[in-house]
Amino acid sequence: MKILLIIPAYNEQENILNVCKTVEQSKVKVDYIVINDGSTDNTLKILEENNLEHINLVHNLGIGGAVQTGYKYALENDYDIAIQFDGDGQHDINYVETICEPIINGQADFCIGSRYIDNSTSKFKSTWIRRVGKDIISAMIKLFWKQKITDPTSGFRAANKKVIKIFANEYPTDYPEPESTVTLLKKGLKVTEKPVNMHERKAGKSFVNPWTSGLYMIKVSIAIIVDSIFRTNGGTSE
Amino acid sequence: MNLTLKIALIIISLIYIFLILKAIRRKKINVTYSIFWIITGIALIICTIVPNLIEYISKKLGFETPSNMLFVITIFIAFYLIFNLTVILSRENRKNTLLVQEVSLLKKQVKHLEEKIDGAK
Repeated sequence: MKILLIIPAYNEQENILNVCKTVEQSKVKVDYIVINDGSTDNTLKILEENNLEHINLVHNLGIGGAVQTGYKYALENDYDIAIQFDGDGQHDINYVETICEPIINGQADFCIGSRYIDNSTSKFKSTWIRRVGKDIISAMIKLFWKQKITDPTSGFRAANKKVIKIFANEYPTDYPEPESTVTLLKKGLKVTEKPVNMHERKAGKSFVNPWTSGLYMIKVSIAIIVDSIFRTNGGTSE
Repeated sequence: MNLTLKIALIIISLIYIFLILKAIRRKKINVTYSIFWIITGIALIICTIVPNLIEYISKKLGFETPSNMLFVITIFIAFYLIFNLTVILSRENRKNTLLVQEVSLLKKQVKHLEEKIDGAK
């Protein structure tokens, strides 16, 4: 079983070395690839000096484009499972096995690490406003697809080969988590969730503020509604 | 319409068309995208030569004044053009993303191969 961690990093000079070290020292045997998304700080320097496996995007693409690069890399190098893993230290390496389990057993094609599936696993639950946003997205997915996704914005997710192939081909650009999940449901793939623990980001600033969150909700809503109403596949012919 | 105004308008329209053709020659604009602008230039000239045409059409369609009709038409066309531009922009964005990803992946692969060669030496 070849497993790859896709670690997108944008201006993560304080966190990236620690994140990679914890991955390297963990008991689970996984490869990782950091996708440096045109950072303007010393992220690239740290990656090179410490010989951390990385791809340096020649221009900033945003989170979606960066993560998709990871899926393309996973496809090219024939990985069995690809896991998105944040470069800011939010995700816990000890739960990699947890979210891989349904995929290895063949119970699911895609497994989301959820903070909300039970109330005990994760102490960190994010701010109330983000939880409201998450609940709205959850309700929309439930309405259209009859499946409860408790943590649709979680960026800690494991994908099998089928999903890797799909994501390498089409992946939304801006804030891609919920929309890409809908893409999979639309294709009739099995999506499941497992409880995981998440930390608060260790250092640096998150990009979220009220204005971008509002815009985020609007964009995600439009994307989910369009994806769900037009159930035939759109034409992204390139 | 007074003859001086007519001549002035026709000259301006001709200069306008000439500038578009020059832009095509200098490859500032694709031929495909220039067609629209050339047509507007020709339409301007036609309207100047036969102003009654506009009056006739607007009356037939039930506009109060010809200028109202022109405004409506212009606004619709402008909206359509802007929408089209955002479509083109989105497409170019997608292509750009693809290129950045592929170049970056290739660079990674080249580096990997270089290291392999160095290791074999």
